[in-house]
Amino acid sequence: MKTFSKYWSIFQITLINSLAYPGELVGRSLMIIPFMWIFYQLWKVTFSAAGADGGMISGLTLRDTLWYLMLAETIELGRPPIARTMSESVKDGSIAYILNKPYDFLLYQFSTAMGETIFRAMLNAVFGGLTVWWLVGAPNHPEGFLIALPAILGAWVLHFCINAMIGLSAFVVEDVSAFTWIYQKFSFIFGGMLIPLDFYPQWLQTIAKFLPFSSAIYGPSRLFVTPTAEFFISVMTLQLAWIFVLVFLLIVAYRRGLTQLTVNGG
Amino acid sequence: MKELKFLIAIWKTNLQSAMEYRGAFLTQVIGMIANNFIYFAIWIIFFNRFKDVRGWGINDMYVTFGVLASAFGLVSLLFGNAFTLSDIIAKGRLDYYLSLPRPVLLHTVASRTIASGMGDFIYGFISYGMSGYFTWDGLARFVLAMLLAATVFAAFLILTQSLAFWFGMMTNFSNLVLNAMLTFGIYPITLFDSYAKLILFTIIPAALMGAIPAEFIRAFTWTTLGQLLLGAIGFLSLAIFIFNTGLRRYESGSAIQIEV
Amino acid sequence: MTSIEVSNLQKTFQTKRKAAGLSGSIRSLFKPEYSSVEAVRSLSFQMEAGELLGFIGPNGAGKSTTIKMLTGILHPTSGEAKVLGFTPWIDRQKLAYQIGTVFGQRPQLWYHLPAMDTFILFGKIYELDDRETKKRIDYLTEAFEIKDLLDVPVRKLSLGQRMRCEVATSLLHRPKLLLLDEPSIGLDVVAKQHIRDAIKRMNQEEGVGVLLTSHDAGDLEALCKRVIIVNHGQIVYEDRVSNLKRKFLTTKMVEVRYAEEVSKDYAINGVEILKVGNYGVKLKFDTTKTPVDFVMFNLSSVGDIVDITISDPPLEEVIAKIYKEVENSSLMDNPRSRKSIGTM
Repeated sequence: MKTFSKYWSIFQITLINSLAYPGELVGRSLMIIPFMWIFYQLWKVTFSAAGADGGMISGLTLRDTLWYLMLAETIELGRPPIARTMSESVKDGSIAYILNKPYDFLLYQFSTAMGETIFRAMLNAVFGGLTVWWLVGAPNHPEGFLIALPAILGAWVLHFCINAMIGLSAFVVEDVSAFTWIYQKFSFIFGGMLIPLDFYPQWLQTIAKFLPFSSAIYGPSRLFVTPTAEFFISVMTLQLAWIFVLVFLLIVAYRRGLTQLTVNGG
Repeated sequence: MKELKFLIAIWKTNLQSAMEYRGAFLTQVIGMIANNFIYFAIWIIFFNRFKDVRGWGINDMYVTFGVLASAFGLVSLLFGNAFTLSDIIAKGRLDYYLSLPRPVLLHTVASRTIASGMGDFIYGFISYGMSGYFTWDGLARFVLAMLLAATVFAAFLILTQSLAFWFGMMTNFSNLVLNAMLTFGIYPITLFDSYAKLILFTIIPAALMGAIPAEFIRAFTWTTLGQLLLGAIGFLSLAIFIFNTGLRRYESGSAIQIEV
Repeated sequence: MTSIEVSNLQKTFQTKRKAAGLSGSIRSLFKPEYSSVEAVRSLSFQMEAGELLGFIGPNGAGKSTTIKMLTGILHPTSGEAKVLGFTPWIDRQKLAYQIGTVFGQRPQLWYHLPAMDTFILFGKIYELDDRETKKRIDYLTEAFEIKDLLDVPVRKLSLGQRMRCEVATSLLHRPKLLLLDEPSIGLDVVAKQHIRDAIKRMNQEEGVGVLLTSHDAGDLEALCKRVIIVNHGQIVYEDRVSNLKRKFLTTKMVEVRYAEEVSKDYAINGVEILKVGNYGVKLKFDTTKTPVDFVMFNLSSVGDIVDITISDPPLEEVIAKIYKEVENSSLMDNPRSRKSIGTM
């Protein structure tokens, strides 16, 4: 119980801390507006060129597509740059100062990451949601948001695991930014951040849907526009499986990194 | 001429310090090339399924993205500080450059090299080579158009970031317009109606960094060359004017509460 | 009871080297060369429970590396250490509950939030119960005189106020041992005194042992009973502060002002004249060579003394002298020792 409240306090203090500069917080979230606008232009033209004005492409209407992309962007833009923060603390040695307190390093990092995520994501959802609402109208399944919520949280856990591993790789390589770009691009392409995976050729869809990137972007976003019980179960099962694997890998990576640190300093 | 010598000296030092972290330098360059390839794959998927967007096809995307990437890369390599100029102004770090007997703007923006820019720069040429529009005189046009696009882009960065002279810290705003510029530059220009296009030639001159250079590279026309030249000269003069006007208001670090 | 026991502790780092110039950069891009740096070399010492021990040395002497090993952050290359009965790098977490740490250049307070928030967070982190935390905060805020600062965002506090809050935070969980790395860095004289007083008080009231690193001799003079001076990763001097003073503070500086003008060829046997002005004289002498009453007698025989100041040279000079002596001698028997500059 005490252990849990420890990390809960860390989460809380980061949450409060993220409100220190509200202007900054809001300003950052405005980014989603031009993104949603340009997605709208692209898909409006594409739907009409495909002769699907008011109709569907691979089971999605223009409205579904836009709301899908809104949630995908919300998840993506809400996540803090964990890999960068961690690799910086590895490189400048400040990781050492986190280690001399009685808490688990990974849980500490996770608590702070979640604290930074919540308000960012909320504001992204608000601005992105208002833009999309104005462009294509209300979502078909507003209740889908609640159903997608566990998957959104799971998506952040996945994101944390991958990013933390990238951050910890700073023990071995000098610079991790290349990995973060490539990871971001993989979530872009295999997570379906510009094009819903449903529009992909079948073989690519099959591959993409099994990779962890789809559990972090496509799963929750698609669940939002199609909130069926059946789909919920399949998304969550796959996601939990990936969480299980990645948490395991992260712990292994952390143990290794720690040995490296204690041998060669910060 | 004297300034050119000075610039070359700065760039040489920049390159040296970038190479100080050898692993970082190589991974950034190679990583950025890979990054761009992966990003572009999404457009291959898109055009594979939907063929074209109002006459704009995958080949046009190759050229547009190519010239934009090279121009972006060139600016990152040679004028890396243009990306963080507003920070430099707002935190009073311009003092250092003002105390030295060299043109302030040039010295400031040239004083940093972003290593990954090398990856973008190289990738742009590869992308053009893969476009199916490749010819030798096309390559010459690519280089020219890319230089002009880079000028527009650098000018755009200086212009928007110089607003910090008036409004102080504005990292978010700078990021916002930078992202808008790049995103609008990459997307097919045929998407936009005439009002949107007006914006893409003026407030956020993304058309001058993507679509127009691409058109010029595919086939020479005086119109596109004129647009590019006019855009480059116009934006550059405007940027220099704004920066110099702002400089008169510069308050140095002392007048501003620095929040670090 | 000993709280720290260190024997033959050693830490060697690997660092990259590169020749100057662009060609050197390119060469190291493909074929990096490494050299090893001995940050800490065969360090042995003991610290009693409740002791105030100063760990003094110039930048790069190995102080921070030692502290990092004592908190379990770094594994030593070889050697043994026990801190409060634990081997730090094995029982890092368990040890963390028992010690407090302050790193002067690495604040633990949340910068944008009031210090109170950090206090409450630390209460949770050290698993104290809320009532206890509250009582403890009251006590510490009184001891460190920070009651009025608790609700102000930390970024608005002065450096000295911030440091007082830092040290108070590190004492929240009643540690038995406090490790302070450069606590007075960047502070002005008044702020330094303030912090030293508070630390002294905590040591007296709660018996918390303090190991303090600094390159400010003033910290040592004001706070510590015993001092260890390190340089190039080795102990060069270890003794009680009072002994250090007795042994090395043998030179006295004297400034005298006379009622009438002084002649330009003013001189006293066995005394070094530093400056002769119209009315005043500044001089220096070694008490082991020239007796004090002899000097005093000669001073007053010149004329009517209006004012006199006698002072010890600053401790910093003394320490600098110790470094120099050791450096010269160790250079003789080990010419490679100059290379061992740490990475702190």
